[in-house]
Amino acid sequence: MAPAADTETPFTLAVPDSALELLRAKLALTRLPDELDGAGWEYGAPLADVRRLVARWQDAFDWRAHENAINDALPMFTRPLAVDGHGTLDVHYVHKRSEVPNAIPLLFVHGWPGHFLEVRKVLPLLTAASPEHPSFHVVAVSLPGYGFSEAPRKPGFSGKQYAELFNKLMLSLGYEEYVYQGGDWGHMLGAYTAVQCGPKNLKAWHTNIPVSEQPTLWSHPLAYLKSLLPYDQKTLEGLQATGLYRMKGLGYMIQQATKPQTIGYSLADSPAGLLAWVYEKLVAWSDDYPWTDDEVLEWVSIYWFSRSGPAATLRIYYEMTAGNTQDILKGAKGPTVPVGLSYFPQEVFRLPKSWAHTLGKIVFVAEHGKGGHFAAHEQPEALVGDVRKMFGKGGGAYGVVPGKDGYA
Amino acid sequence: MADTTEQPFTVAVSDTDLELLRKKLDLVRLPDELEGAEWNYGVPLADIKRLVAYWKDSFDWRKAEAGINKLPMFTRDIEVDGHGTLNIHYVHQKSEVKNAIPLLFVHGWPGDFLEVKKVLPILTAKSDEHPSFHVVAISLPGFGFSEAPKKPGFAGRQYAEVFNKLMVALGYNEYVYQGGDWGHILGAHAVTHYGHTNIKAWHSNMPFYRAPKFFSNPLLFLGMLTIPFDTVTKTRLAHSMKWQSKGRGYFIEQATQPQTLGYSLSDSPVGLLAWIYEKLVDWSDKYPWTEDEGRLLEWISIYWFSRSGPAAAGRIYYEMTSQNQHDVLEGTKYSSVPLGASYFPGELVRLPKSWTSMLGNVKFEAEHDKGGHFAAYEQPEKLAGDLRKMFGKGGPAHGVVPGKNGYD
Repeated sequence: MAPAADTETPFTLAVPDSALELLRAKLALTRLPDELDGAGWEYGAPLADVRRLVARWQDAFDWRAHENAINDALPMFTRPLAVDGHGTLDVHYVHKRSEVPNAIPLLFVHGWPGHFLEVRKVLPLLTAASPEHPSFHVVAVSLPGYGFSEAPRKPGFSGKQYAELFNKLMLSLGYEEYVYQGGDWGHMLGAYTAVQCGPKNLKAWHTNIPVSEQPTLWSHPLAYLKSLLPYDQKTLEGLQATGLYRMKGLGYMIQQATKPQTIGYSLADSPAGLLAWVYEKLVAWSDDYPWTDDEVLEWVSIYWFSRSGPAATLRIYYEMTAGNTQDILKGAKGPTVPVGLSYFPQEVFRLPKSWAHTLGKIVFVAEHGKGGHFAAHEQPEALVGDVRKMFGKGGGAYGVVPGKDGYA
Repeated sequence: MADTTEQPFTVAVSDTDLELLRKKLDLVRLPDELEGAEWNYGVPLADIKRLVAYWKDSFDWRKAEAGINKLPMFTRDIEVDGHGTLNIHYVHQKSEVKNAIPLLFVHGWPGDFLEVKKVLPILTAKSDEHPSFHVVAISLPGFGFSEAPKKPGFAGRQYAEVFNKLMVALGYNEYVYQGGDWGHILGAHAVTHYGHTNIKAWHSNMPFYRAPKFFSNPLLFLGMLTIPFDTVTKTRLAHSMKWQSKGRGYFIEQATQPQTLGYSLSDSPVGLLAWIYEKLVDWSDKYPWTEDEGRLLEWISIYWFSRSGPAAAGRIYYEMTSQNQHDVLEGTKYSSVPLGASYFPGELVRLPKSWTSMLGNVKFEAEHDKGGHFAAYEQPEKLAGDLRKMFGKGGPAHGVVPGKNGYD
């Protein structure tokens, strides 16, 4: 079924000159703080890094070159999608079809501080045709409020609404049945979409941050009993790291879940402020990934130049936790569709594997020795390898989409 | 008896700094806002727009500066064990009354030395009806015009040392102490180290301590179990829970990644404005800031033009909690130094009054029906009135400083 071309518009990234000018003018006025002796990363993003990045952003970083490269590499579109109670949002996405007609439709969903560009490295791998592995038609959506998608205008845009929007997007592209891959918010929203749209439309999903609720005796008795057994050393280390992360690394989350507008003024107004806020996580959450300055600046520029501005990206934390009063996964209990899990060692949330049974019917598990939170960006081959195994011949989710098994 | 390193101090922001602020305000980039957001997501956009316009077009810093300079201000070098020398800024107003009681007034965050402004003439006034005070209002290291610590680890003990050395250098070997917010917390540290020997009594307008534990305070602990049945206490605790669930983002971020946040606050006047204004409104008892916007912007400007910049101020949260690993009272010990407590209804943390006895030797208590966190600013007569009652003839702390009972 051909997509409804009349509501879809091809999208070219084209930041106006005036926006570039404003950025440059602001960068020229940057006022940096001092730093404690020997601070390193202990107090946040180091001054030397931020100073260097700001200087490059101002003088040497060539946004137009990056913009052109993005436009060349990624076929992008926008289309208006109605969401119950929230009117119509103009949604931005990458859409690349495989040569293989029966490729598996896959929706790729990013998180914070990520964006649609996280699909860049995995896109050619996922859409590649081969008798050795399945191929995918890939849709990488910009979450509402991120990248070049319009932001919700009213309070209350939460899990249910994201699931509705994702489903409508896939249906509008002719993908009545599809699979899903996500990390960070992509993971959380995967649980919601699985509950709301599976198994009718969403047939199976994969996550690279298997965060779940602790099993209870009533919800998942077997998993609960298993979780009572003493944890092995590795699991303990994971729990400890998670605990430490919760203590030292959650300031951004609590702020964004309670007063996103207040911090939003800073992030909208200060390029250096936005840079530091995002860069701290790019480094803290990745596994010694060798970020180049231009890689970081391109990444942060997407936030700076985003359609709704950086402040809008924070509101998902508020909405999904009802202002920090409830658990993120509260409305996504008991997904039953098949789920695949990839564990990367430097992921910030490392929970006991027995808890993952609350995410659905586990049909695939892989554990890696390298990689962190931004798996698609840091370890594209590993991630794609997992997805191929999960959905390929002999895999736990082979043939979940009837008539589209991914092979020619 | 003047110390030769004391210098008279006048605030004199350079034209360059004023120009930079103006240029930044001209280039302000504001976020959007959700419909009907009001205060639910943080500071409302309408408030920020109005305040930015005022700051840019109407606010007269030089006039504000001239007003501030009417206060008798000084700086002097204070050596702190392991931290070298810090140049400390303070207000010092002596009373006409020779035997006035030396009092150290300590502000918090997002406060500053100017919080002493309204209580100063009241405290130093001479009368047979009430005691008089010699008042020293310090700028905490890293705030106002005091130098900031340069090395990690500047915490309770170090602040106490600065306070004591300052008072002793001014010839006040024995003195009393008043504080709220960090002023309260640091008061507990100060009396731990210098109680009785130097600090003869102290007063807090934010008198909180830890919750009672069964083994250390069995009666109070048991009292805690009856809380569900005591509506007065329940209301107080509910009020505190509001801060706990919705108002704590700033605390966690400043306690864990103050440098990351600091880039925003140093670089963006509107970001700094929002960050502080949110608390000035949330934590005061309906103080009519809209009628006092010149003073409000002066308040923000002190942070903007502070000697060490706005980023330095947040580090106190990190140091006093060892990056959110313990509470701020760690290292304090119960002191039998007479303690006075004033309870203001809008204070952000309101715990059962019975718990105050764990903080210290409560000799004076007063409860008010109006006023919030910034008591000295919002309710100067009430606060000064409490101090007069506490230290005046017939008061529970009368004559604590030998030879300086506040009357001639």
